[in-house]
Amino acid sequence: MNYFVIGYYAMLIGASCLAAHFQKREVFLLLFSLTLASFVMGIVGGEPALWTVTVAAGLIALAAGTAFAFREFLAIVLPREAGKAIRTAPLTAGFGLFVIGTYAIAGIFAPIIAPYGEAEVISDSFAAADENMLLGADQLGRDMFSRLVYGARNTVGLALTATLLAFFLGAAGGLIAATKGGWFDQFMGRFADVIMSIPSLIFALLMLSIFGTNLVTLVLVVAVIYSPRVFRLTRAVAGNIVVMDYIEAARLRGEGTWYLIRKEILPNSMAPLIAEFGLEFCFVFLLVAGLSFLGLGIQPPTADWGSMVRENATLISFGEITPLIPAAAIALLTVAVNFVVDWMLWRSTGLKE
Amino acid sequence: MGDVYRIIAKRLGLGLVTLFVISIIIFGAVELLPGDIAQAVLGQGATEENVKAMREQLGLDRPAPVRYLEWLKGAVVFDFGSSLVSQTPVAETIGPRLYNTLFLALYAAVIAVPVAIILGVLVALFRNSVFDRVANVVALTSISSPEFFLGYILILYLAVITGYFPAIAKLQPDMSLADKLHRTFLPALTMVLVVVAHMMRMTRAAIINLLASPYIEMARLKGVPPWKVIVKHALPNSWAPIINVVALNLAYLITGVVLVEVVFVYPGIGQMLVDSVTKRDFPVVQACCLIFAATFILLNLAADVGAILTNPRLRHPK
Repeated sequence: MNYFVIGYYAMLIGASCLAAHFQKREVFLLLFSLTLASFVMGIVGGEPALWTVTVAAGLIALAAGTAFAFREFLAIVLPREAGKAIRTAPLTAGFGLFVIGTYAIAGIFAPIIAPYGEAEVISDSFAAADENMLLGADQLGRDMFSRLVYGARNTVGLALTATLLAFFLGAAGGLIAATKGGWFDQFMGRFADVIMSIPSLIFALLMLSIFGTNLVTLVLVVAVIYSPRVFRLTRAVAGNIVVMDYIEAARLRGEGTWYLIRKEILPNSMAPLIAEFGLEFCFVFLLVAGLSFLGLGIQPPTADWGSMVRENATLISFGEITPLIPAAAIALLTVAVNFVVDWMLWRSTGLKE
Repeated sequence: MGDVYRIIAKRLGLGLVTLFVISIIIFGAVELLPGDIAQAVLGQGATEENVKAMREQLGLDRPAPVRYLEWLKGAVVFDFGSSLVSQTPVAETIGPRLYNTLFLALYAAVIAVPVAIILGVLVALFRNSVFDRVANVVALTSISSPEFFLGYILILYLAVITGYFPAIAKLQPDMSLADKLHRTFLPALTMVLVVVAHMMRMTRAAIINLLASPYIEMARLKGVPPWKVIVKHALPNSWAPIINVVALNLAYLITGVVLVEVVFVYPGIGQMLVDSVTKRDFPVVQACCLIFAATFILLNLAADVGAILTNPRLRHPK
């Protein structure tokens, strides 16, 4: 028992009592269950476990604070309607938007932000962090931080390109299938079924073993693998719209397929499609990162998060967290996008229960 | 009951057709190679005689449909030809590795399924409370993390810093079961983390969907105690969605296993697939892909059949 442990429990129990006194039932439940969990963790893991909890709680509080401030900022800066929507968003969505914004800036301005080039060797391999290198050096002596920043451009850029292509293919197929119907619809549906019945990573590995690993093939393969998901959703959403009276009216007016898609169906199916875009991006991003991790994605010396994890993996056995940083960068972006998508789905479908 | 069997038979037939189409894709993809296998394996510098000899050895002079039928005939009895790199029969190398992979997947499933379903039901019962929201955020984080991230975190904390478990899951043939379980605990835990999150979210959605039905409201209004509403009214109808959730996630395990095996250097079929992709050892790639795809389809089929069998409306037709 030392001052830290005593202070730790005193804080938690005091805060629980305050929450109970002010009738904040939810907060009280959360704090008190944390206290109970801490007893168990303290007995099993000792003081370090309690430190971990403290650090984690601090990080979560910091993230929540950032999210809150960023949400308020957006609510003031954005025009009235959008601002109103943002103000009612949950904190998780605010956090997601903040992370996405940060990554976008890092990716776009990578050469300005990064102190060194992505392939520039500046010190010994696995050198520790010093005043020149924020996060130390990688296995060839390149600056980890610079590579991380460039990775935002390369990895995210690649995933975004593949997602856009998949989306374009899938949405175009779905819209045409819904408006045309008939054998085209049937054929595309069966085709999508077959592609979706092969696990995506396995399919990607098969294709990459045949066509080799270059960027164009990678984007094409990933786009083809993930377009059936978009196709199905677009087909379902557009299928509900096609039977509406206003479509019938437009058809009777003698409008063509292209007009129907562009002016009648697309504007009315935007909300679920945008949410699907976010989800799709997560899948594609994880697949691309996984392939890079396996050494089959973006090839060196281009900086890329998946391969950075693989290249520095040996450091793990010395208790260093360096290889975890690019992996965490991947996880953070996916989590952020998921948070935003969750919020958008909740808004558009009224999943309010 | 006749109706049920007809639906199941139809579903099984559809599964067989899908499997057949996929075998064509897997075989046909290799045919898309610029040049042919012999050219691709031997590379640009190979002499004309070498390429010709290899073509003859592989029987490439015969038309593709004939070779496909032969390959399929072999694949049905687990004979996938021999590896281009080591020249040994593919089945010999795949056999023990397939067993290892199945062992790992089963290990993960045995832990994950009960935990996920219990958590999912609890979260659905206490929906919109603090616990629900915390569980939702944790689950989303776990789903969004790549498997290698979770894997390396576990290695760092449970293997390197505390030393409870070994970081590398190498297997020896003469290990006892307890030893094996201890050694493969970290890879299994990594998969459990991902799958539990998925399953919990899906179970929660299924149960909430169910609790919104009119007959549940009816039961509540006539004064049935809450636990009885769940056990008597909700549970019998929720088997179908729960079975679906379990089977779909087991199918998900099949894909996740590739990355996990590479992280933990586990001698399974996933690692073998990745190795042969880099070496461009096509017979092995084809065999692994076919096994993965077949398992995936089988589990999806099981999900559908299970859903049909447990649907009370289909079991007792009017």
